[in-house]
Amino acid sequence: MNNKRASCRVSHSRRRGQPVERDWRQHHNQGVWREVQEERRQESIPRGVCLSMCPIRELQDREAQNLLHRFEVLSGTERERWPRADPSGVVKEYARPAAGKDSTRPSDLRPPAVLLKTVFYLVDNIAASPTLRPWTEVYDFVFDRLRSVRQDMIIQRVSGADCVAVLERTVRFLIYASYRLCGEPLRLYDPRINDTHLQESLSWLLECYTSGKHPNQEEFQALGLLYNLGSSRATQHTMELPERIRSSPVMHLALSVSRAFMERNPVRLLRLAHSLDFLQSCALHRHLETCRRDLLLIYSHGHSSKNCRFPLHKLAHILALDVPLTNQLCQAHGVEVHGNSVVFSKTSFTEPEAGKLQCAHFHDLVDRKQRDLTVGSIIHGCT
Amino acid sequence: MAHITINQYLQQVYEAIDNHEGSFCAELLSFKHPHVANPRLQLASPEEKCQQVLEVPYDEMVAAHLRCTYAVSNHDFVEAYKCQTAFQSHKEENWALPVMFAVTLDLRIFANNVSEHKLLCSKMLLIQMIFQAEQQLSLMGCFRVRAGIDDSKKWGMLFLINQLFKIYFKINKLHLCKPLIRAIDSSNLKDDYSMAQRVTYKYYVGRKAMFDSDYKPAEEYLSFSFQHCHRSSQRNKRMILIYLLPVKMLLGHMPNHQLLRKYDLMQFADVTKAVSEGNLLLLNEALAKHETFFIRCGIFLILEKLKIITYRNLFKKVYQLLKTHQLPLDAFLVALKMMQVEEVDIDEVQCILANLICEGHIKGYISHQHQKLVVSKANPFPLLSSSS
Repeated sequence: MNNKRASCRVSHSRRRGQPVERDWRQHHNQGVWREVQEERRQESIPRGVCLSMCPIRELQDREAQNLLHRFEVLSGTERERWPRADPSGVVKEYARPAAGKDSTRPSDLRPPAVLLKTVFYLVDNIAASPTLRPWTEVYDFVFDRLRSVRQDMIIQRVSGADCVAVLERTVRFLIYASYRLCGEPLRLYDPRINDTHLQESLSWLLECYTSGKHPNQEEFQALGLLYNLGSSRATQHTMELPERIRSSPVMHLALSVSRAFMERNPVRLLRLAHSLDFLQSCALHRHLETCRRDLLLIYSHGHSSKNCRFPLHKLAHILALDVPLTNQLCQAHGVEVHGNSVVFSKTSFTEPEAGKLQCAHFHDLVDRKQRDLTVGSIIHGCT
Repeated sequence: MAHITINQYLQQVYEAIDNHEGSFCAELLSFKHPHVANPRLQLASPEEKCQQVLEVPYDEMVAAHLRCTYAVSNHDFVEAYKCQTAFQSHKEENWALPVMFAVTLDLRIFANNVSEHKLLCSKMLLIQMIFQAEQQLSLMGCFRVRAGIDDSKKWGMLFLINQLFKIYFKINKLHLCKPLIRAIDSSNLKDDYSMAQRVTYKYYVGRKAMFDSDYKPAEEYLSFSFQHCHRSSQRNKRMILIYLLPVKMLLGHMPNHQLLRKYDLMQFADVTKAVSEGNLLLLNEALAKHETFFIRCGIFLILEKLKIITYRNLFKKVYQLLKTHQLPLDAFLVALKMMQVEEVDIDEVQCILANLICEGHIKGYISHQHQKLVVSKANPFPLLSSSS
């Protein structure tokens, strides 16, 4: 296989656009479009033959160079100078494609069945493990290894049910992580990177849904809409879905939430949010801050009167927070609280100082729903 | 034209090039011209003949065009598209701009044809083609030439930009329009282009503004487009109106029936009626009834925003009925329930009212203790056009 073409096709260093677009951009410069067509006709798409979660060569290399991850090391050998690899625990890591490096060797690529097995391992044995700590490290490991799985899928042009099974779990994992790690310091968890990968995986998944039948489609269309609340692009995409998908109960609820957001009716939105399940609430949660701020703003204008009093506990109920947190929220927004009452005034409302409010303190609405759900069931979708 | 020989055709092309006759040359290379139906010109390999008569680079260009006519006659739009992309840019002069216009237009149409004919054509293929078209257009080098004003290839800029807009809207990548808009805004030629090009430009910029929820600028652009669009282009006028109407309605101006009937846009009739009467029930029904049409045009979401205006009109009626400045919140709840709004309670009523006050549609305040809306004695419901 021609080296140049190989490195052209596998360019993941640029995170813009869908895999398809990225694929294509490499080619247009030399007018290699025709070549690509012919190439496809010759069916020279790489097919992986590596049957373990990590290619043997990589396992040996990393073991020899002491580059194994803590979770990949044979128990009992951690303290040795050269920890030994645990063959049932080493997973192929993500590697940036580079010139001169052939990422398409069949012995290095894992076929779809193995990729799915790998994903199951990552979810059941790592992400859902009750003993591995801290979860930020668990997240880093799973995030990276899932990225490598996606890379193998792209190189081999995996599509259809295999692709969907992997992507669905990836999306659920990333949405769950966006909630669980919310508030962690930047050096341990970067919400923007999580968001980028989540959006990419989601777009790819929604693209897969356009052909064939997929039983979980409504769940993910709804998750996409909730996660991207307020985005005209996401809302327009949802409106263009077939009627039977849009009218399913899960989509109907998501659309109602979206509508409430677009109409700026935070009271309705927060009330509807009570009906969302745990993962949907995770997807929605980053918008709750805006939602509550909108409510305080609207009420500051609508109830603006020196003589009027609004009961604090009532406000707490509408905001779906307890009284102390409501108090804190009001103070951060310049809303005066006197004892048990709130005095709204359009002139005193202010935007909170950056960083003053920590989303993580206000997670109760979502927390409550987790109850006895296990991480494994959340990610596999067996709730 | 339909019967000339290949040699006669090539001779005409040669003379057009030699005399710098841009428009005539464009016709000879455009698919709107009858010569493309001439079987004598539909050749699979015309390169040698072209080389005999024409110089570089025209020989290759014309050969590509003739291969293209061959492909189109066989309904092979994929091949036609590929040939069309073989056109190259001119380095210096701008006499060939009409040629470029014609080629670009055909290029985009072929890309469209491919995507429509190939039912199994994946989105990927379409995106590939469209990006290639876009690159081709940029390569035509219009943006980088620093020639004198008359000669400047900048005259081709607006045409190209309009073509690119069409492509971006089709593949739903509106954010790519921004740099192009900036380029035109900073150009000193922007008011000197032909009216047709300016109308098209403002139409797309207006639509983009709508998408970004900038309704005042959107109204300006689309109104300009509508007023200056030629009377005979009914279809274009209708297209502009489809986007102008929702924007105007959001700013409080309802269209009359005559206008809707004239342009066959009766889908808006019920919506208009519902909004002006404050009839939420009718609005929801009208939106549901013509949902497919509105979604296809991409205006469904904007029309949903009319709900706020409808609430305002409904509540104004309540105010007019009760004839008092201290209105019980319950009255509004009853009004909403009459409109069959689902699951609404008094808290939501407060929120809706508060929102209307916040947006400036109602002047007053809510007293939670007394469960009343107290409105200003002077003009409690200001005109919509002033409060948007």
